[in-house]
Amino acid sequence: MSNLNQHLRKMGNYASLFLVFLGILLIISEFFVHRHGEIELEDLPIFPVIYGFSASIFIVVVGIVLRRILMRKEDYYD
Amino acid sequence: MTDITPGLLMIIASGFVPYLPHHLRQIFILIAIAFSSVSLTAGAGMHWTINILGQELILHNADNLTLPFGVVFHLAAALNVVYGWHERRPVEHTAGLAYAGAAIAAVHAGDLITLFIWWEATAITSVFLILARGTERANNAAMRYLLVQVASGVLLLAGACLYWREAGSLSFDIMELGSLGTWLIFVAFGIKAAFPFLNGWLQDGYPEATIIGTVMLSSFTTKLAIYAFARGFAGTEYLVWIGAAMTAFPVFFAVIENDLRRVLAYSLNNQLGFMIVAIGIGTELAINGAVAHAFAHIIYKALLFMSMGAVMYRVGTANATELGGLYKSMPLTMIFCIVGAMSISAFPMFSGFTAKAVIMKAVGYEGLIYVYLILLAASAGVLHHSGIKIPYFTFFSHDSGLRPKEAPMNMLIAMAIASVFCIGIGVMPTTFYQILPYNLDYQPYDASHIVGQFQLVIFAMLAFTFLMRFGFYPPEIASTVLNSDWLYRKFAPFIGKPILTVLNKIAEGANTVLISFAIQIMARILYIFKHPVMGPVTPGPAAIALLTLLMSVLFLVNIL
Repeated sequence: MSNLNQHLRKMGNYASLFLVFLGILLIISEFFVHRHGEIELEDLPIFPVIYGFSASIFIVVVGIVLRRILMRKEDYYD
Repeated sequence: MTDITPGLLMIIASGFVPYLPHHLRQIFILIAIAFSSVSLTAGAGMHWTINILGQELILHNADNLTLPFGVVFHLAAALNVVYGWHERRPVEHTAGLAYAGAAIAAVHAGDLITLFIWWEATAITSVFLILARGTERANNAAMRYLLVQVASGVLLLAGACLYWREAGSLSFDIMELGSLGTWLIFVAFGIKAAFPFLNGWLQDGYPEATIIGTVMLSSFTTKLAIYAFARGFAGTEYLVWIGAAMTAFPVFFAVIENDLRRVLAYSLNNQLGFMIVAIGIGTELAINGAVAHAFAHIIYKALLFMSMGAVMYRVGTANATELGGLYKSMPLTMIFCIVGAMSISAFPMFSGFTAKAVIMKAVGYEGLIYVYLILLAASAGVLHHSGIKIPYFTFFSHDSGLRPKEAPMNMLIAMAIASVFCIGIGVMPTTFYQILPYNLDYQPYDASHIVGQFQLVIFAMLAFTFLMRFGFYPPEIASTVLNSDWLYRKFAPFIGKPILTVLNKIAEGANTVLISFAIQIMARILYIFKHPVMGPVTPGPAAIALLTLLMSVLFLVNIL
C-alpha cells in the first residue's frame, strides 16, 4: 500500500472518530438547548439527528436501485 | 450614463475582445463590467424606453428585485474573468462577456419582447462556451443545448404575443397562470429553470463545456429563469410542488453519477428547486429567501465548479473513478472546494445556511409540512453529493497516483474571492439581507437553529461514513446515467425513425405517381404542338383534343 493510501486511511479513521464525537456532543446538547423547528414535528427530541441520518441512507438506497435501472455504458450515446 | 441598460456595455465591449492582446483583454473586460455596473446605481424606475411600431419597449427597468440579481451577475462575471485569466484564446472571454451582459440586460427588461431578445441572446452567446471545447461530443451537446434554449425563446415569444392579445399589454410583471399565453411563458421559463423532465439540457450541456465555460454557464441562465419566475409568477402554487420535485430527484442521480462536474450540475438543479418552492409561496419572506438563495448559490456553485475546473485543468479529468488523494498536491484548491461544499451544505457560518434558512422559515410559516420535509431531506442529499462526494472523491478517497501542481494563481485568486463571499455572507447575514427586495427582520443565528442544523448535517455525514465503512456506498463506475435528455437523444429517434421511414416511402410513391402524370401531360402537350390544327379539313386527333379541352373549359365556366 502506498504511503498516501496509508495516510488517507489514517485520516479517514480520525475523521470518523471526530464525527462520532461531534455526533455524541450534539445529542447531549439536546439537554441544554431548547431546540425548536419551523414545524412541530421538528420539535421532537433529536429529530434532525434521526431525519438527517435516515434521509441520507434512503437517498443512497434509492440511488443504488436507480443505478440498476438507469445506468448504461459510458459510450451509450456515442 | 446610468440610464443605459446594465449589461449593454458588456455586450458592445465583447465585440472588441477578440482583437485585444491577452492581458490587456482581461483588464478591458473588467473595466467593461465595472462601467456596466454603474447603471445599477440608477435606482428604482423606468430609465430607458423606446417606441417601435407603436409598442413601448422598456429597455431599462430597475427595482428592488432587479438589484440583487444585477449585483450578483456583475460579481460573477468579474470572478469569471479572474478565473479564466490564464486562457489565451479569446473565444470564451468574448462569449462569456456577451453572455453575462445579455443575462444582466434581460434582468432589466421591462417588457416581454425586450426580455425575449435578451433571453435568446443568452442562448446564442452561451453556446460558444460549449463549442469552445472543440470535441465532437461537445459540438453535439452544444447543438442540443442550443435547440432547447432557442425552443424556450420561441415559446416565450409565442406566449408574449398571445399575452399581448389577451391582456393588451407587453409589460413584464406579475401574471396569473391560466391562459395559453401565460402557460407558454411559464413553460419557456420552466425550460431555462430546468424543471423536472425539462432539465436534460443542463446535465447534458454544462459538463461538456470548457473549464471556464462551465463556471460561466453555472451563474447566469438558470438564475435568469429564477428571476423571471420571481417577477412573473410569484405565488403560483404549482411552483411549490414543481420546486419540491426539483430538490428531490436530482439528488438520487447525483449519488450515482461519476463525472463530478455533472454531479454539480445535478446539485445545481436541486438548489434551483429551493428557489422555485419559495417563489411558489410568493410571500415577501419567501421571495427574500429565493433571492438570497440565488445570490449565495451563484457564488458557492461557481466556487465548486471552479475547484473542479482547476482539478480538471491540472489532471485532464473530473471523473471520480480517475481522481483521489489530491489533497497533498492541490491543498489550496481543496480548501476552497471545502468552503464551497460547506456553503452548499448549509453549515452554520457559511452562505448556504443564512440563505436557505429564510426559505425554510417561509415554508414552515405557511405550514407546508410535506414540502418542508422534502426540502429537509434534499438538504441532507445536497450534503451527500456536493458536500461530501465532490471533495471526498477528488482530494481523499484513495491514491489515484496523480501528483499535479497546484491550480494556477489566477484560479486560486478567483476561488479565494468567492470563498470570502461565501464566508462573509455566512457570518454577516444582517448585512447580506439588506440587498434583498423586502425588509427582513430575521436572525438565523440562535442556539436552537444552529444545533438543529449541525445535527442534520453531522448525522448526514455520519450516514455517509457508515455506508463507506461497511461497503454499502455504491462504488464509482465509469458510466452514463440516463436523464430526461434520453427522451430526445434515444427515445424520439427510436419512435420517430420508423415513422419517418414510412412517411418517406409514401412521399416517394406519391412522387412517382405525380411524375408519371406530368410525363403524360407533357407528352400530350408535345403532341398538340407537333400536330397543329390546319385549315378546313377533317379534324385530326390534335384538333379533337384541343376542341375537347376548350369545350371542357366552357362547360366548367358555365356550371360555375
